[in-house]
Parts: sequence; structure tokens; C-alpha cells
Amino acid sequence: MKFPIEDVTVYFPYDHIYPEQYSYMVELKRALDAKGHCLLEMPTGTGKTIALLSLITSYTLSKPQGAIKLIYCTRTVHEMEKTLAELKLLHDYQVKHLGPAAKILAIGLSSRKNLCVNRAVLESANRDSVDAACRRRTASWVRALAAENPDVETCEFYENYERAASGAVLPPGVYTLQDLRAFGKEKGWCPYFLARHMVQLANVVVYSYQYLLDPKVAGIISKEMQKESVVVFDEAHNIDNVCIEALSVSVRRQTLDGASRNISSMEQEIKRFKATDANRLRDEYKRLVNGLALSGNLADSDSWLSNPALPDDILKEAVPGNIRRAEHFLHVLRRLLQYLTVRLDTENVEKESPISFVASINNQAGIDQKTLKFCYDRLHSLMLTLEITDTSEFLHVQTICDFATLVGTYSRGFSIIIEPFDERMPHIPDPVLQLSCHDASLAIKPVFDRFQSVVITSGTLSPIDLYPRLLNFHPVVSRSFKMSLTRDCICPMVLTRGSDQLPVSTKFDMRSDPGVVRNYGKLLVEMVSIVPDGIVCFFVSYSYMDGIINTWNESGILKEIMQHKLVFIETQDVVETTLALDNYRRACDCGRGAVFFSVARGKVAEGIDFDRHYGRLVIMFGVPFQYTLSKILLARLEYLRDTFQIKEGDFLTFDALRQAAQCVGRVIRSKADYGMMIFADKRYSRHDKRSKLPGWILSHLRDAHLNLSTDMALHIAREFLRKMAQPYDKTGSSNKKTLLSQEDLEKMGDSSRDEMFFTHHLELAQKSAVGDVRTPFMLDLKASFQVNL
Amino acid sequence: MTNSIAEKRRQQEDEDDEEDGDLEGWGERNYTDERSWEALQEDESGLLRPIDNKAMYHAQYRRRLRSLSAASNSHRIQKGLIRFLYIVLDLSRAASVMDFRPSRMAVVAKNAEAFIREFFDQNPLSQIALVTIKDGVAHSLTELGGSPESHIKALMAKLECSGDSSLQNALDHVHEYLDQIPSYGHREVLILYSALTSCDPGDIMETIQKCKKSKIRCSVIGLSAEMFICKHLCQETGGLYSVALDESHFKDLILEHAPPPPAIAEFAIANLIKMGFPQRAAEGSISICSCHKESKVGEGYICPRCKARVCELPTECCICGLTLVSSPHLARSYHHLFPIAPFDEVKPSCHNEPHLKSQKTCFGCQQSLVNPGNKPSLHVACPNCKQYFCLDCDIYIHESLHNCPGSQILGSTDKAVEQSLDHTNRANLHALKKDVQKEFKDHMHHMDCNFCNDMYFHYGCTPNL
Repeated sequence: MKFPIEDVTVYFPYDHIYPEQYSYMVELKRALDAKGHCLLEMPTGTGKTIALLSLITSYTLSKPQGAIKLIYCTRTVHEMEKTLAELKLLHDYQVKHLGPAAKILAIGLSSRKNLCVNRAVLESANRDSVDAACRRRTASWVRALAAENPDVETCEFYENYERAASGAVLPPGVYTLQDLRAFGKEKGWCPYFLARHMVQLANVVVYSYQYLLDPKVAGIISKEMQKESVVVFDEAHNIDNVCIEALSVSVRRQTLDGASRNISSMEQEIKRFKATDANRLRDEYKRLVNGLALSGNLADSDSWLSNPALPDDILKEAVPGNIRRAEHFLHVLRRLLQYLTVRLDTENVEKESPISFVASINNQAGIDQKTLKFCYDRLHSLMLTLEITDTSEFLHVQTICDFATLVGTYSRGFSIIIEPFDERMPHIPDPVLQLSCHDASLAIKPVFDRFQSVVITSGTLSPIDLYPRLLNFHPVVSRSFKMSLTRDCICPMVLTRGSDQLPVSTKFDMRSDPGVVRNYGKLLVEMVSIVPDGIVCFFVSYSYMDGIINTWNESGILKEIMQHKLVFIETQDVVETTLALDNYRRACDCGRGAVFFSVARGKVAEGIDFDRHYGRLVIMFGVPFQYTLSKILLARLEYLRDTFQIKEGDFLTFDALRQAAQCVGRVIRSKADYGMMIFADKRYSRHDKRSKLPGWILSHLRDAHLNLSTDMALHIAREFLRKMAQPYDKTGSSNKKTLLSQEDLEKMGDSSRDEMFFTHHLELAQKSAVGDVRTPFMLDLKASFQVNL
Repeated sequence: MTNSIAEKRRQQEDEDDEEDGDLEGWGERNYTDERSWEALQEDESGLLRPIDNKAMYHAQYRRRLRSLSAASNSHRIQKGLIRFLYIVLDLSRAASVMDFRPSRMAVVAKNAEAFIREFFDQNPLSQIALVTIKDGVAHSLTELGGSPESHIKALMAKLECSGDSSLQNALDHVHEYLDQIPSYGHREVLILYSALTSCDPGDIMETIQKCKKSKIRCSVIGLSAEMFICKHLCQETGGLYSVALDESHFKDLILEHAPPPPAIAEFAIANLIKMGFPQRAAEGSISICSCHKESKVGEGYICPRCKARVCELPTECCICGLTLVSSPHLARSYHHLFPIAPFDEVKPSCHNEPHLKSQKTCFGCQQSLVNPGNKPSLHVACPNCKQYFCLDCDIYIHESLHNCPGSQILGSTDKAVEQSLDHTNRANLHALKKDVQKEFKDHMHHMDCNFCNDMYFHYGCTPNL
């Protein structure tokens, strides 16, 4: 269908559109018009991706003078493929209606591991070794060597690609990773390098967050993206953590040992070069004297995506004298390693600011701040000079240099924390030195500065006003959309009391109370007997989960659960968890039924969907607060308070509730689906906690469901499951449309459309208000009826 | 001042009175239902009202009707009239749950009984067998047979539950028997499933495929919630899956399985079946009955081929294996093949058309179609005779009567109908033409057929068909 939004004709590949998709497009259109950033929250399963894609591509089509590039960032390869598949559908539709003029080039970009077609390279197991195997065949000096000596192995695909030179282009179309590989195989070109090359020319690029946020990668991949781009971060509820992780480094004993091995082997290399090819080192030295900006591997154009790890001055300044020579640089690194080793040997937890840390390095190891700042680039240059292809072997020394550069560059927003052992296992010494970033806005700042519009979207972005503060930007639009449903297919409940009417909570002073553990167990035992197929339980932490399962096992609760359903548990081991998930799904399929025990913030909570019968009920045991005694968290909280005036409590609650929402949101992935959510903790009934849940959950959380005990929850669950098992009309009844056709859209004028959504919200608000007032009256009447009967 | 207060009070009293008036109605109706408060809802002004289920039920009924007729867009559908139905009762631990009163098991048994009677009423040529699942194992309670009484007796005698439930075992067990049924018979399984899990010894998916291959139509009625595997089973084998909300809904759902389902396309080859029409034994004659192996007096039938005596029809002769039926049985199966078209819902706007304006009453029961508030209530029109009917009559005509009175009167030229009637029934019909409307009004369904003691429009009820 096609319909106008203000001055843009939107091409939408389906015959019907959800009302919320429509309003999502309207808001997005306004943000694009204003050339500003926006935050949009819309529940999963409402077709966010297709709404986004069709609006942005249609927007570009309607404005031929300023072609806008779309950069779409996803979290996983799986999501990337899904996005591209949707885009393909949309593209076909647009071409059908508009002719070849609508053709665009859209590609997905992923690591070599996902794109490589060379069989010999693909034999390597993990990503790093695939990268290394590729470099061994494609590095310039290897190829130069191969030109003389035919025995040196090269990659035929890369050679073909190089030979085709500027002729190697992709014809317009939408390419998933699969398509890219097929195309590469057919033409004999390397898909990875082809894709990397085409990124600059494509209209739509889909890739991972890291390519834009991690300064090391972004410098290579994304530096030449045009300013007139729209950047979309999908599933962006954890974007602040991604930003922080991109700039945080932790150093352990193994890292130091490895780095020192790396340095030794580099020293040997240098010796070898001195004997055979002394000119190379001299050339490098000369280059460094002239400054890093001209050193060849960095293009000198000011339209770069500025790299937060490399502030502007580094490009203009020359490399300091004491590290220009390769041997000298290695000496500096050795001294740094020694210093770090000494610091790691501490008995106590230490916390320092970067400034004092740098000062103490200067005192004790004689390395000044400027030298530290250049470590990353100096190492890079040295590795090129030494013709090191096996980059995966040199990860340790790279880590150390990252650390040095970051600590030398930033004086604010970071802290250095040295812990001699893990808090939870104080008997095992495991010293770790962490440079932790507290300010999520540092990594994402260049993105906001550089690109015209940045769209941050997810199913859970509540409270929506906190994200702009955390990321330090000003959105022109921030909206949260509700789901329009033909039936109430989600049933959130807050369970505050167990079957014995005593409160349940994972609060620190209550969590080990045997009564609470028993009540939680009883809740699950009752639920497994009335809920069909799959149930997912989320606990606040691994240690709590271990504890509670142990207790349940001893008291026989686990056995009772097993009578109804099989039990599967998430562990920290990825393979084990995958196997458990696989068996869990099979148990759900064959009707045996299963329970999956999982941990909030774990792998399962983030990336695995429990849709349809794989999750009819999800129970969130407790509020998943972060480990509040963690030194890193405390430092971050302090920073947030001082810099952004965000209270510790507010941030912790926000973070806990978004995790909880993320966990329970796993259960519903489309409108045809249904599921229940139980928040089992008395703290959820408090307004300050509850109000931070996303709007689409809150709007289904009825006042009567806020303070339930186990038996009441059971009754509600039974009724709900029976109701949901009945057949229903997918389009909704006439007065409450949930699917709009083209005629429906045309019928409503622009103005009335907005009114409709507005009044709908108002109605909801009024209803809930009215409900509050009436409840006692209702109860009274009910009581009197019972007496009468 | 006092005046206004008094007025307010009066208003309030009025309101209360109104409420009382409303409550009396439903209070009496649902007096025995202990969850009567659930049938209440708050209206816009905050008053309590009984939930108006009528429109909802009717919508559900129409959807059912439409889905039935959608399956048979051509005006003649093949239907399996000779059905071999296994009813599987889940008597696992879950059947003792008390969310239905007194227990799921009792409710299932009670409604299964009603179903068995209704089933034989509508499908006199078909046979039923009962299977129970207990402790994870499936047992045959009764073998395939055509006598409702013996099934019901066996069912009521064995009502206790324990252990787990296994869908796979039940299906395997049923499959063993149904696989041997001759090809003209329609193989069906109706599973009344209380449990929410299925503890199976092997891969149930294989069993489902096996059933699909043997063309066994599996339907499930769940008692508590939707289970994926049941849904999958029904989808694969072309059956119906439904979940009961409460006891009355359960009854509706189970009775939905009484009329014969449309035949599976590749299965519906026309087939000639040899049948015997036994004579009734003379009153007072004494003979040894072949089914019970004891001597009986009178009240029996004699197989035309081997002259053995059987007690009940329809059945298979125990001696020579001939299918024995009586002609009314055949006739009663007949109406399934010629269903009346679903009625169209009448939009309120149609009232403005002049030629229809006069119809303000239901053609069936003569009740007014206009609500007290002069608001036209929902009603339907027959696509054939264009008469209006109220919702009650709509359901009655489609589910019990199987004939539209309007069409019968208007369509007296319809030769096909006329010819299929013998003179007695024609006389009946002529009589009806005169006072069908009166009959409808007086007592909706009390005009018995002379022959089959059934509803009056079974025009196939001729002794010599």
C-alpha cells in the first residue's frame, strides 16, 4: 500500500498497517525534517523495523536532491539478516511501483568469519583466527612476496578482487550476507573486501554497533560516511553499556605476561630486520618525525569521523621523540608493564583517577602523559613496519597500548580500579586492573556530532527522558508508542505475597529468609501445574539462582516441579546453555512442558526469544539490581551524580527495571502471541519502581493486579489462559481498529488521525483514574451480593 | 434546599429500583451458579449490569457457521456419514482438579454422556468406542459399537483418575484399531484432555504423522489451556482444537463434534456399502439374542441374511458381519448433506429500504425485532426467502430444525423438496404452511414427527425409503 505522510509518499509492502506503525512513521518523519536526533520506544512485535525502513527509503525517494544514506546498526548477525530480509521485500515492492528509479544498493557488513568464502581460511575456528588467516594471505607484503615466489599462499578471491580494481562494484539491489557470499563466489571476488569497499557507496548499510561505536573499528570502517546519513540503533536499550564497554579496558596477570611475550618477539623481529633490512626501520623513523598524520595508514582528510580515542591534536602533533625508534618504544612498553605488574600486586582495593595514575606512572616509570597517548598508534605503525600478520597473537600488547592511550587521553569520565580478588571469592587471588569508563556519551559523541539524524529505538526505553541525559544529547522527538491489540494478550501481574500472605522480595535482608524461598517455590509449583508448555524464570544473579535451586532441591520443591515439567538451567558456559535451550524447546514442542531457569542480564535474557509456546509465562523473581558493592558501579554512580545530576537510586532503579522489562519482554514477540508476566517482589508494587516499566506493559497492568498473593495470581492465570485459547478475529472489531488498510488511512484526515491517537491515550488515562476511585465501591457491592446469595 | 436534597434522594432511589429490577432477572437465572458475581460488569455510569453475552455468543456461533460453510463453498459437500469415533478420556491426575464442579472428571463424563446420545441421534450409522488414559497408559473401555447405553454404562462405572497422561500412547492405541476400519468409514478421534503435559515414551511427532497417513482426524478439547502439541496434532490431522471456558462452553464444544465433519477430499470416493434392513421380531416371540447370548422376549430385530436376532439397531450382525440399520437411521443422516445456507446479518441501515420496512417481527417466533428503546436489535435474514429472524430462531433453525420455514412456505414449487416427501409428510407440511407461524410462537419445537418421534421437519422420515 502507499499513503502520504505530509509531503512524503510512503511505500509500505503490506496491505495493512498497524496504527502505531503509522504514528511511528509520522514522528520519525518529523525528526528527519528537523535534521535532529530522536528516541522512539515501540514494543517488539509491532513491526518497528519495517516501519523504519519504509519511511526512510521513501523519504529518500521523495527528496531526490539530497540523497540520504541509512546506517542501520543491529546487535547481532541474526538481527542483521532479518533486517535485510525485510528490506529486500520492501525494495521489491518499491521497484514494482516506481520502476528501476527506486533501485538502491543495500548491504550488510560483518566480520570476515561471516563473509569469507575461502575454504582454507574458514577452517579456523574463531573470529580472531579467521582474521589472522585472512591477513596472512592478503597483507601487502605477503602479496609482494608471492609475486616473486609462487609458493607463498595467497587468497585467489582477494587477488581477483584487486585485479578487477575499480571494476569491482555491486550492481544495485539488497544483499544479505548470504547473497554477498553467493555473489562473491560467482564473480570470484572476496565478498568481505568488496562489501567494505561498497560501504561508502551503498544507500543502506546494515552492520553491528561496534563499527560505529568502537573507536578502533570505527576509524577503519566508518570514517568516510557522509554527513547526510541517518543512523539507526535498533534494540538500543543497552546502548549506554555498549558505549562504556567500547572504552573500558581491564588488565589481568595473563594480559601482562602475554604482552611481555609479545614484546620479546617484537624485539627479535627488530633485530632480524636490523640485520637484513635496516632501511625499513629508518624509513619509519623518518615518517614519524614528520608526524603521524602523514604516516600513510591514516588518510589525511578532515571529513573523518573523529575518533574519540584519538583527539584532534594527536593528528597534528608529531610522535614524541622517546618512542620514535622501535627499540625505544619497546623499552617504554616494558617499563609500563613493570609498573603495572607492581600495581597489580596490591593487597587492597585501590581506586584512582586517571590524572593521579598518570602522575604516578610519570614518577615511577618515567613515562609522561604525551608518550602514553601515542602508544596505540605507535604500536600500529610498528606492527605494519614489522609485517606482523598474526594480529590475533598480539592481542595482549594491543590491550596494553589501548589502555595507555585511553589513560593518557582522558582525565575525566574514567577511573582506575585495582582489585586483588573477586569480592565474591575472596580466597582466590585474581588481581585485575580496570580502566572503566563512566561516561557513555564519550563514545557516542562523534556519532551525534557527525551525522544529521540519529534514531535510537527499542522495545524498552523507559523512562525515555533518562537516555538523553546519559548519552548527553538533545532529541527533537522522543515518544513512546503503545501496542494496539485486538485482545489483551499480555497479562502482567505484580505478586507481593506468597501463599501464606507474607511478603516476598529479594531485598538483601529478606532473600535468605527460608519463608521467602519457600513462597517462591510454592508459586512456581502451582504455576507449572496450570500453565501449558514453556515457563521461563529469571533470577537476579547466578549466585542467588544457585542458592535457591539448592534449597528447592533439598526441600523437595524441585521434585514437585519435575512432576509437571522438565527443568533446564542456564549456566555461564555458552555450550551448555545452548544445549539446555535446545532441549527446552524440544520439551515444549512435544508437549512434555519445561521450565527454564535463567539470570537477568545473562545471555538468555538479552538475545533469546521465548515466543509462542516456548514462553507462556515468565516469572521475574526479585528486582534485578546491579551488584551494588561493585567498585566500578560505585564509581560510575558517583560520576553520574556529579556530572549529570542523576541520583544513584534513580539510576539503579532505572537500570534494574529496564533489565526486568527486557526479561519479561522476551515472552511476546508478535501480536498473535500471548503470555503472562509475573513480577514476584513486593517492591514492584511501589509507584517509583513500577512507573519505570515501559508503557506497553504498564497499560496492561491493571490496578487489581498490583498486589497479588499466589492464590489470586493462580486464579487470574487460569482465566487468562482459557480466554486466550479461544479463537479471535485478527482485524479487531469495527470501533477499535488494529489493522488499517489504505482506505482507512485515506478516510481519516491528517488532523483527525492525530486526534484519534490522542484521545485514545486520554481515554486510557481516564479509565485508570476512574478505576482507582471506584474500586472500594465495587468491592462493597460484591461483598453484599455474596451475602445475599 | 431541602427540596433539592429530597429530589436527589428520590433520584437515587429510582436508580436503586432500576438496578433491583435488573438484578432480579439474572439473580433468579443464575441462582445455583456459585460464581454469579463474575457475570457482572460495570457500565459507563458505574452501575453493575449483567454481562450481555448474547451478542458475543451469537458472534461466536456465526463464526462457527461461517467456517463450516466456508469449507464447502460448492453447494453440495460430501460428508462422512458413517463415522468411527474413538473418544479418549484423559483420566490422569489432572482430571481430579476441582476448577470445574465437582471435578473435571465428573464434568467430562457427564457431557460425554450427553454427547454420546446426541451423536447417535445425529449419526445413526456411526459407531463409538471409549478409551481412557490413566497412569500414562491407554486402555479401551468399550469396543466400537452403536449402542449409547452400553458406552454410558461402561463410562460411569470406571471413573477414577491417577498418574500422568500420555498423548502418544493414546494415539498409538487408537491407531491400532482405526487402521483396520474399512475405507468407507471415517476415522475420528476426539480427545477430552484435562492434563497440560504429555509424558510420552517416544517421539510423538512420528505418531502424529502416522495418524495423518492413516487419515485419522484427531480433535482435542482441552479443559484448562492451549497446548502446542494438541494444536499441532489437530492442524496436522484436520481436526478441531478448542479449549473450554466453563462447563456450558465445554458442552457446546463437545456437541460441535456431533454433526459429521466434511469428508477429507481424497478419502471421499463414492462407495457402495452392503446393508441389511432387519425386520422387527414379532411381539412376544422368544429367541436367543446373538449380542448378549441369552434368551429374550420380543423387542428384537432379525438379520435378513443369517436370521440371527439382535437387540438394537444400528449394529453389525455378530454372526455374518452385515451392517444392520433401519431406514429412519439413514434418513436422519440425510439432512447433513443439504444444510441450509447461513443467514445474513441485517445491518440496521437496511431498515430504511421501503419494501422491508414492514418486517418488524421475527418470521419464526413472531417476537418483535425492535428493542424496548426502539433500537433495532441484531437480527438475520434468510438469503433464500428474505424473511427476518431473531437470533434465537437463527440458532434453532440451523442446529435443530435444518429447514427454513420461510423457504418452505414460499418454495412450495421446489420440486425436489416436494418429491422427497411422501403423502403423510406432505400433509404435515401443508398443515404447517397454514399455521407454522402459530406453531413457532406457541412452542418452538413441539410438533413431533409421526415416524421418528423427532423434530417435525424430517421430511426424509418415510418408512419405505
